[in-house]
Amino acid sequence: MQNGILQTRIENRSFVLDPRTKLILLITMSTFVLGGMGSESASFLTPCLCVLPLFLLTVSKKYKSAATYAGIYSAAYLTFALFGPHTSGCLHFLLLGAAGIITKLMPSLTMGIYVISTTTVSEFTASMQRLHLSEKLIIPLSVMFRFFPTVADEFASINAAMKMRGISFGGKNAGKMLEYRFIPLMTCSVKIGDELSAAALTRGLGGTVKRTNICRIGFHLQDMIMILLCAVPFGCLFLDACGAF
Amino acid sequence: MIEIKNASFQYANSENSALNNISLSIGQGECVLLCGESGCGKTTVTRLLNGLIPHYYEGRMTGQILLNGMDIAKTELYKTARHVGSVFQNPRSQFFCVDTTSEVAFGCENMGMPERIVHQRVHDVSEKLHITPLLGRSIFNLSGGEKQKIACASVWAVNPGIFVLDEPTSNLDIDAIEDLKNTLLLWKSQGKTVIISEHRLYWLKDVCDRVIYIKKGQIGFDLPMEQFRLFSPQKISGLGLRTLSLKDLSLHPTGFHNDGTTLVLKNYNFSYKKTPALQISSLRLPVGEIIAVIGHNGAGKSTFSKCLCGLEKKFRGITCFDGVPYNRKKMLKKCYMVMQDVNHQLFCESVDDEVRLGMDEGNADNVSSVLKGLDLTELSSRHPMSLSGGQKQRVAIASAFLANKDILLFDEPTSGLDFSHMKQTSQLLRSLKGRKTVFVVTHDPELVLRCCTHVLHLEKGTEVEWYPLMEENKKRLIHFFLHEKE
Repeated sequence: MQNGILQTRIENRSFVLDPRTKLILLITMSTFVLGGMGSESASFLTPCLCVLPLFLLTVSKKYKSAATYAGIYSAAYLTFALFGPHTSGCLHFLLLGAAGIITKLMPSLTMGIYVISTTTVSEFTASMQRLHLSEKLIIPLSVMFRFFPTVADEFASINAAMKMRGISFGGKNAGKMLEYRFIPLMTCSVKIGDELSAAALTRGLGGTVKRTNICRIGFHLQDMIMILLCAVPFGCLFLDACGAF
Repeated sequence: MIEIKNASFQYANSENSALNNISLSIGQGECVLLCGESGCGKTTVTRLLNGLIPHYYEGRMTGQILLNGMDIAKTELYKTARHVGSVFQNPRSQFFCVDTTSEVAFGCENMGMPERIVHQRVHDVSEKLHITPLLGRSIFNLSGGEKQKIACASVWAVNPGIFVLDEPTSNLDIDAIEDLKNTLLLWKSQGKTVIISEHRLYWLKDVCDRVIYIKKGQIGFDLPMEQFRLFSPQKISGLGLRTLSLKDLSLHPTGFHNDGTTLVLKNYNFSYKKTPALQISSLRLPVGEIIAVIGHNGAGKSTFSKCLCGLEKKFRGITCFDGVPYNRKKMLKKCYMVMQDVNHQLFCESVDDEVRLGMDEGNADNVSSVLKGLDLTELSSRHPMSLSGGQKQRVAIASAFLANKDILLFDEPTSGLDFSHMKQTSQLLRSLKGRKTVFVVTHDPELVLRCCTHVLHLEKGTEVEWYPLMEENKKRLIHFFLHEKE
């Protein structure tokens, strides 16, 4: 069986982080790498953060995603470092733009993929409950978590059907690619969503009783290290704001 | 004790009532089969029992459904859920979680049971259903049969008194059906009430003790199984029902096309990661015939289909059609797969646009004749998604015809179909003989005997046997479908 990148694989997991830690990691990444926040003095931290998704993907045995990330990121970085200084004008800006977008966007995107592909629905709901969020928010969010991989699955079948009909980016119907893909995707998604809700309701979801959750989540040593790691750039930012440097 | 009193229901967006003044009572510990043609209202009955009507599906309802004196229409769904457990048709869309352990525990968690008890229940149920090895896995890596077992376990963990199953075998192979049968017998032996709505009847002969036949929203008859079993095969098919006994099935000889041209599959090898899924070094098949592809789950049928249609990118096998070799990319142009869920392959706004999409330029003049041949002329301006399942299937075939595809592959074309729709599909397939080479991947022996000319039996990724379907070979086929678990 082939797996989509978004489908959670839970067999032989070795390095498990608490979903809350993952959330903190995601926020840190988007603040400092994507958002470009952070003081001059802490600029050395950004490359460190960029290595983080690579590390996490590798320890969760997602070698292919890790390699893809490392490949694209370093290609973009090196291209600019090597050719950047030798180009000028329009080409220079084009290069700067492309490399800039990739190096800023990729790390956070990869982190997002890591979070979705390593968190199960029950872990996610458990951590949301610990954060004392309302059930009214948790249930729709967890359904979304369940929905992504399913839609990815449907997408694969639709793609296969399109190939057999000769609709591809190179073909004569390239312009309508998006439309053709979305009609069946919508129909199937609506149907699946409908069936999912009916099944969940007949099993007692949405009652007034407080749900139990047998999923064991909690902070371990690896979570502490990760949180500390995230604290560093925020700390620098704070000190910077206070004028310590 | 279930009591349905003068119940009628009409879905909000429908013009006809789905159920018309139904009254029946089901005692505790009874095992009831609900049967009837597609759209007769048997699914609606199951929805009345688990409370999805009127709480989830909207419409106009009259009458009363009492469950041990409790009025379901006035009871919140989550309260009904403690007493009625439901298993649905599509194992893919009835899971809330993505891992098996949480899924089995899901119902209990919703009841707010203490953690210790939930663990205990999950453990007990898994032991009884022999699914302990499946715990802690991702549901995306399970077969259809395994998923259905998890669904049963999850419902059982809550320990309801009543089980309602709505066409649970639509997507299952013979072994998985056998497993489900054992689960039902287990529930029965515990004194649970089981109500099952189903098209395939042969496996329920020794399970259910009461048969309720529903016709156009009303109860046609309500008989003990002993009497129902005595019905002649003609009477059963006259009622629009599937066979009660696979042994009684007769072969409908179609004659062979037999023009001497062949299709040779060479080097059909494929593996996922390092697990080999398909290993056929050379296989010679006739052109223009209807070939049934059978085998257990995991035999490599779907890998075979994908490789034949050129959908596996890394597949290196060669297909020789009438002596001309085709590689993967060329097969993509020559082959067309009609998927189990036809919704995946209809893209346009009208049937006419749909069949013209991807059409071979030279075929523009043939559109109307192809549509006529498949009985689609009147539907040509309709939106494909508004058609019935069988009509969608025909639209997909029409598009394959116009794209000049020589090989058509059907993936489970009759899953979840009643007798008359199955018969329609078989006639459609028969009409393709001699014009196209047709492969039918199926678990449905009735369909195979009605329209196929050859049988290709795959097991463990390779061909076990391969024979023309004639009277003397019928036994071989029936034997495969009756084969108890090895």
